[in-house]
Amino acid sequence: MPWYLYLALKQLFPSGRKFPFFTVISMLGVALGVMLLVVATSVMGGFGYQIRQMIVDTQGEVQLRDRGFIEDVGALQKKVAQVPGVVATTPFAEGVVMLQCDRKPAFPVIQGVDLDSVTKVIPLDRYIRVGNLSDLDDDSIILSSKLALSIGARIGSKVEVYSPLLLERMKNDEVLLPRQLTVVGIFEIGHQQLDSSVVLVTLRLMQDLYGLGHAVHGVNVKIAEGADPDRVAGAINRSMGAQSTVQAKSWIDANEDFLFVLQLEKNMIFFLLTFIIIVAAFSVMSSLLISVVRKTREIGLLGALGGKPRHVAACFCFQGFLIGLGGTVGGLAMGFGALALRNDAIRIFTQLTGSEEVLARFYQFSQLPSHPVRGDIIMIIVCSIVISTLAGLIPAWRAARLKPVEALRSE
Amino acid sequence: MSNTPIISARGLTKSFLSGDRRIEVLRGVDLEVAAGESVSIRGESGSGKSTLLNLLSGLDAPDTGTLAWAGAPVEADRRAAFLGIVFQSFYLIPEIDALANVLMASRIIQVPGAAERARAKELIARVGLQERATHLPAQLSGGERQRVAVARALMNSPKLILADEPTGNLDEHTGDAVIDLLLGLCRETGTALVLVTHNAAHAAKCARGLRLRDGRFV
Repeated sequence: MPWYLYLALKQLFPSGRKFPFFTVISMLGVALGVMLLVVATSVMGGFGYQIRQMIVDTQGEVQLRDRGFIEDVGALQKKVAQVPGVVATTPFAEGVVMLQCDRKPAFPVIQGVDLDSVTKVIPLDRYIRVGNLSDLDDDSIILSSKLALSIGARIGSKVEVYSPLLLERMKNDEVLLPRQLTVVGIFEIGHQQLDSSVVLVTLRLMQDLYGLGHAVHGVNVKIAEGADPDRVAGAINRSMGAQSTVQAKSWIDANEDFLFVLQLEKNMIFFLLTFIIIVAAFSVMSSLLISVVRKTREIGLLGALGGKPRHVAACFCFQGFLIGLGGTVGGLAMGFGALALRNDAIRIFTQLTGSEEVLARFYQFSQLPSHPVRGDIIMIIVCSIVISTLAGLIPAWRAARLKPVEALRSE
Repeated sequence: MSNTPIISARGLTKSFLSGDRRIEVLRGVDLEVAAGESVSIRGESGSGKSTLLNLLSGLDAPDTGTLAWAGAPVEADRRAAFLGIVFQSFYLIPEIDALANVLMASRIIQVPGAAERARAKELIARVGLQERATHLPAQLSGGERQRVAVARALMNSPKLILADEPTGNLDEHTGDAVIDLLLGLCRETGTALVLVTHNAAHAAKCARGLRLRDGRFV
């Protein structure tokens, strides 16, 4: 090993010393910055990932909609099925209804799903907590968990559904009774808003409630594993022809603004937390500068022994690099450790502060999500090591400028 | 053996600015040291002994005059292999043990191999510190530290050793032992020695004695 690397290692980890205090403290500063970056970007990534997953799980990867209704959905589905990359399609209709159970009203979004094809596109059965999707028929309904709780409904409860069609009929002095439906299932997606304001019925019942006839509001499309949603959506639009008013949009396209905000938030957090590493780097620089002053005569000795100024500089730069490397490795370990224990920590914290409900209500998730992205982690590693190495540059420059004669004379 | 002196200085002058005043420290010093020769330089404090040693070691440049190492111009790149320096304050690296300090002189030239390690061990044994080889400088006495510094100066088998008051920080008995060791090793290895000292007895042990006064040999 060249002398300057050897000496850098020895100055950080002196022989015969069990606990290199200066080195550990310097590394700890970097490690804390790296840990915070790993935790923050992973949690932000987790929020983003869960939201993306939820969008795909509830809407499919590509969605087709017309300006009004899609009348001949069968023909449309056949046409779309032939587009490369399309695996399955399912029609849907949606709207808002008033729902009442034991005089407790609610105004949920109602989704009409085609029982024959919905599970090929949307993994609804994965989210059914009580009951079964196969029990759903034209006289029954599946409620979201928090909605069921708020109106006191359970499996077997009867709920009354008032659709906007009732109001239309009332204008013509017609009396239309609300539909009475039996609760056959309760689902929970894990998103506060969806879990408190969505109900599922069969597509036929929804068409009946809204007077749609055989028309639907749209078609959800599942695409092949690894296929690009934007490309498949483009291919579907081309297959529709220029005259068609039906338009396919990928989930990315449909939620472009939202995804942009998510990415922006994540980038801002990364940018702000990078300052912690910069502050740690300043403390590393300060420690190394003190080291240069303390070791002035040793630096002079190295020059007298024949050491070149650039090698003296490399010795201090390498110390900055090693502190960065050690701090980064420690920070990664601490960060992933904190992520592994995050839900236990949050549970204890919310129990102590009595804020479990608040967390779920404001952050939409019952658990703190985490989704570390390889690119983010690599960026953190590179930033941390580069910044720490740069912190060694000024001390290295000072050390390299020392003239051996003057350094040896210094008191 | 070639007749070319190991070190040859002609008309060396050196002055320093102190405030507005220029102080002439060396005023035309001539010196030749033959291979294997031991030369002592004595003089009062401020007479220019250390400044002369800095010029001879190439750590500082003269204002005027010429200096040659074995007939060739002085180059910083040659210093590590050409000469060894022993300082009054030892200047051992505190983070590494005695053996590693000796090996450091070689490490600066190239990554040490088995031969260099064996030589470092041999030198440590030669200065009587075999049992203390793995001790840190802080765990050694002043005399032991200076012996490590002597071994370090000899590590690269230099042609010349410059010793700047090597016993200045040692008691008389330890100082005598260090000087005897240094002279003995230089004789054994045929290394020339320039010894700067205040001590007349130590100076008398060298083959030739010089006295520096007001920047000139007298």
